[in-house]
Amino acid sequence: MSADVELNNVSVTFGSFYAAKSVNVKINGGEFFSFLGPSGCGKTTLLRAISGFQDPSEGSVLIDNKDMFGIGPNKRPTSLIFQNLALFPLMSVSENIAFSLEVRGVSKKDRQKRADELLELIALEGQGEKKVHQLSGGQKQRVAIARALAVEPKVLLLDEPLSALDLKLRQRMRTELREIQKRVNITFIYITHDQGEALTMSDRIAVMNDGEIEQIGPCDEVYNNPLTPFVATFVGENNPLFGTVKDINQNKVKIETPDGDFLSTMNENKKLNIGDEAIAFVRPESLFIPRDGDNFDNQIEVNIESFEFEGNIKNFYATLKSGTRIKFSIPNAIDTSSISSGTKLQLGFESIKSSILPKAQLAID
Amino acid sequence: MMGMYIFIFFAYLFGPLIVMSITAFNSAEFPSISPWECFSFRWFNEGKIAYDGQHLAGLLSDWRLHDGIISSLIIGAGVVSLSVPIGMAAAIVLTQVRSQLRDIYYSISIMPVLFPGVIIGISTVVLWDRIAGLGGDGFISDVGRNGIFLTILAQTCFISTYCFLIFVARLQRFDQTQEEAALDLGATQTQVFFKILVPYLMPAIASAAVIAFLFSFENYNTTVFSILSDQTLTTVIASKVRLGISPALSALALTIIALTIIAAVTYEILRRRSEKKYAQSQEIFVKEKAASGRINKEYKAGFKVPKGIVAILLVLVFATYGATQIVKNDLYGQSCIDAADQEKKSKFLEQLQTLESNELTEEELSGGSLGGTEDYGDIFGDPSLFQDFGGFD
Amino acid sequence: MGNYLFTQPFFKKNGKAVAIYFLVAIVFWFVFLVIIPQLYMLDLSFRSNVPPLARGGPQDFYTMEHYQHFVFGSKTSLEAFNFVDLGVFGRTILVSIMVTIANLLFCYPIAFYIAKIANPSTARLLIVSLIIPFWINELLRSFALRILFANEGVINNFLTGIGVIDQSILFITYDIGLYTGLVYAYILLMMFPLYNAIESLDINQIEAAKDLGSSSLRTHWRIVIPHAKPGIVSGCTMVFMLTVGALATPVVLSSPNTLWFPQLIYQWFNMNDNWSRGSAYSIILLIISVIFVLAMMRIFKVKIGEIIK
Repeated sequence: MSADVELNNVSVTFGSFYAAKSVNVKINGGEFFSFLGPSGCGKTTLLRAISGFQDPSEGSVLIDNKDMFGIGPNKRPTSLIFQNLALFPLMSVSENIAFSLEVRGVSKKDRQKRADELLELIALEGQGEKKVHQLSGGQKQRVAIARALAVEPKVLLLDEPLSALDLKLRQRMRTELREIQKRVNITFIYITHDQGEALTMSDRIAVMNDGEIEQIGPCDEVYNNPLTPFVATFVGENNPLFGTVKDINQNKVKIETPDGDFLSTMNENKKLNIGDEAIAFVRPESLFIPRDGDNFDNQIEVNIESFEFEGNIKNFYATLKSGTRIKFSIPNAIDTSSISSGTKLQLGFESIKSSILPKAQLAID
Repeated sequence: MMGMYIFIFFAYLFGPLIVMSITAFNSAEFPSISPWECFSFRWFNEGKIAYDGQHLAGLLSDWRLHDGIISSLIIGAGVVSLSVPIGMAAAIVLTQVRSQLRDIYYSISIMPVLFPGVIIGISTVVLWDRIAGLGGDGFISDVGRNGIFLTILAQTCFISTYCFLIFVARLQRFDQTQEEAALDLGATQTQVFFKILVPYLMPAIASAAVIAFLFSFENYNTTVFSILSDQTLTTVIASKVRLGISPALSALALTIIALTIIAAVTYEILRRRSEKKYAQSQEIFVKEKAASGRINKEYKAGFKVPKGIVAILLVLVFATYGATQIVKNDLYGQSCIDAADQEKKSKFLEQLQTLESNELTEEELSGGSLGGTEDYGDIFGDPSLFQDFGGFD
Repeated sequence: MGNYLFTQPFFKKNGKAVAIYFLVAIVFWFVFLVIIPQLYMLDLSFRSNVPPLARGGPQDFYTMEHYQHFVFGSKTSLEAFNFVDLGVFGRTILVSIMVTIANLLFCYPIAFYIAKIANPSTARLLIVSLIIPFWINELLRSFALRILFANEGVINNFLTGIGVIDQSILFITYDIGLYTGLVYAYILLMMFPLYNAIESLDINQIEAAKDLGSSSLRTHWRIVIPHAKPGIVSGCTMVFMLTVGALATPVVLSSPNTLWFPQLIYQWFNMNDNWSRGSAYSIILLIISVIFVLAMMRIFKVKIGEIIK
């Protein structure tokens, strides 16, 4: 059983401060949906509005087309997994998992049965008698999920639950979460500031900044066709090239920058006019060292400053003529041993792999 | 020099208590060490009837003390059952009041411990006397003039603050997302309170109950007013001390010392055990503690078993040595006491004869130049004693 | 009421049953146990002293006589001022201040030693040893001192025994026993705030000061004491308040000729059955206490929350 979640024009204010501003989003039943944004962008506020800890100041939250206003968190068909998990330290694992059934007056026997089922789902069979502090970080994570699933919620809300884990475990838990979601087939709403997490797990993501949604869409669309400079720089890495629009030909735009003119692709939702201030974005992996026979739309001259080896790729940091710094990545399979700091290079990139947007705020790392 | 100072300081703290404890075993009527009469447990038992006919009650035979203890226990139970829930409610509400009001709320909550105890006692009595007066002869009048009831109310007034502070300290470490998690899982607010908050506060409830009971049990300043015509342990002790000091009080003090030490050790062990449990459940907390508290870190090292055994052995050796000395010198038991009594009696008779033969000396004696009159309760100054004395053989 | 007083709606947040329990408990405490009795006592202190049955009758009127009595004495007295009561009052405050200072001086070295010098297991042992005597009733602790200081007491017997003196020293009569007992009574309440405050000082600061050439005394004056200020204020306030309001220790240890101010209150209240005057004297004691706390807060710029933890 899964449910649609709809936020209609939701605003949450604390005094005069807008934690969330006119948010509109429709999340489909059974979807894995992520809110992605830097800390303080209002994503946790939205989650609390959906789970019922915070009623919106304006607008409405609909779950299964039913307005949830005034309905407390204990009466909503949602379960929340907290950032710190909030497992009950004084209870055993089974008691934790069956807590939602206990408070609903389910008999002890049925509770135990359900707890055992869920322990099996999370591969912790026979460990129900343990105390929470005897579990490892990943096991706690899974217990928190099982506890949230015990009442068969229609929507599972996850508030950065992986942030406390180490890298390896985090990566494994991503896959595991995705699998659990497929198995139980309910709506997952996930909150994170880690774009890697959002991109790998989600069906769709919403990128948030300053309480507003900047873009909603499938992961690849958000990554490839960002709608705002913020999204372009927050989701993945991007090199911004600042300039003014010189020429427009259908969706191909020529931008004039201190480092030369570049041809870039315009998003159809973000029209530009000649003379507008704009930013062309090109991702590190879209910059290439041309080989014989290569013919790129754009050429760019760089002066290598430093590089770092990351395993599968090698990252280079370089400056342009104007002093602008850019980063590009070359797969390790290509021999780059001749390049070192001080090397001057000619790079190329395709206009189709570059997007141009009206000038606006970037995400600051 | 520092070591010397510390020694003197602790001698100041413990010396009087140790001396008092020793005097409890001296059979003499006046608590003392240097004229050591006989080693005896009489002050823990029946006390004695002195050679001059005065009855000096021991612990077991003192009914006023027993009544006082019983009222103290009743009051203690009443205070615990009122002040713990009050302190808990006030501490939880402190976490919910707006930040602008928090200082005021906190100030009101701790005000009662800043009031002198006598004032709390007096204000309770005058108010309830008025209420009792308004209520005619009925139930209210009885309650309003019931010393035990008033004492419970008066003590609850300030003991609630101590409970409040204990709960505040524990709540500061409470992770409020646990409440939210429980709510989110479908618990009602009432269920959150009973299934999450109360279990979490359990150690604080236990501490608060113990503290409340001890504070109630040993309170004097407030109780002496609010108890009216009843008596508690402390008011009995106070009136006894005022009448003259007796080794029976030393015996009582030693008993209380022993009981409180046992209670304190038990409490400390239980508290540490529950804290350990709690700490285990919050691994991060342990790490913090290990990093910051240099005392806790070395805690276990301070209580190594070998040291304990050495201490026990030492005590045993001294005890055996002391016991053999006492037996050897015939300082223990009835024969010693009889001998001492006999000696005192003959001395007393001697004095009596001298008195009779010399009128002038009598005046001098009753004037108190012997220096002991104040503490002996003026037995020489009371002529009726001489009449009664005839019956004592 | 919710939005002005509480961060979240009170009844919704706690559930009805629990919210009612909270409200009843707190109102019962604040209103019935703390505020109303004090107000009624204040009222009573301004009323003429009449037997309970005559309350509300013509003899029951408002008057300043009890406060006047405190300052000027009874109307029949020939003295211009009530030297006896004022004397008791002044002595109580003066001695309380001295006791507070003595406590501070005695405790500071110990607190510093335990917090910063002693190795942890010694420190732990010392702390436990500090606590043990204070589990024991104040009356009985005073009684222990009484045994020592009585005219036929242990000290006098010892001193005469070894021949240092041939007549008993009148410790009780000269109130030496009382002062010793008052210092003894609340010393722990000075020790712990001091210890806690000094403990939280980073040892590196002390070492840095020494490294910069500061003398030991100067280090204490410039580094440790300023850091320990909240603890010092807290300890001094607690000790002063308890000493000035002490009854148990004076009952056991004061000489028959001198009174401690709460004993005076006790006399008016229990022996002379003049509740109004007892109330008035209580109010005077309360005012002094409040003034002291406020003065400490103002002078040393600490909050009340720092005084009592």
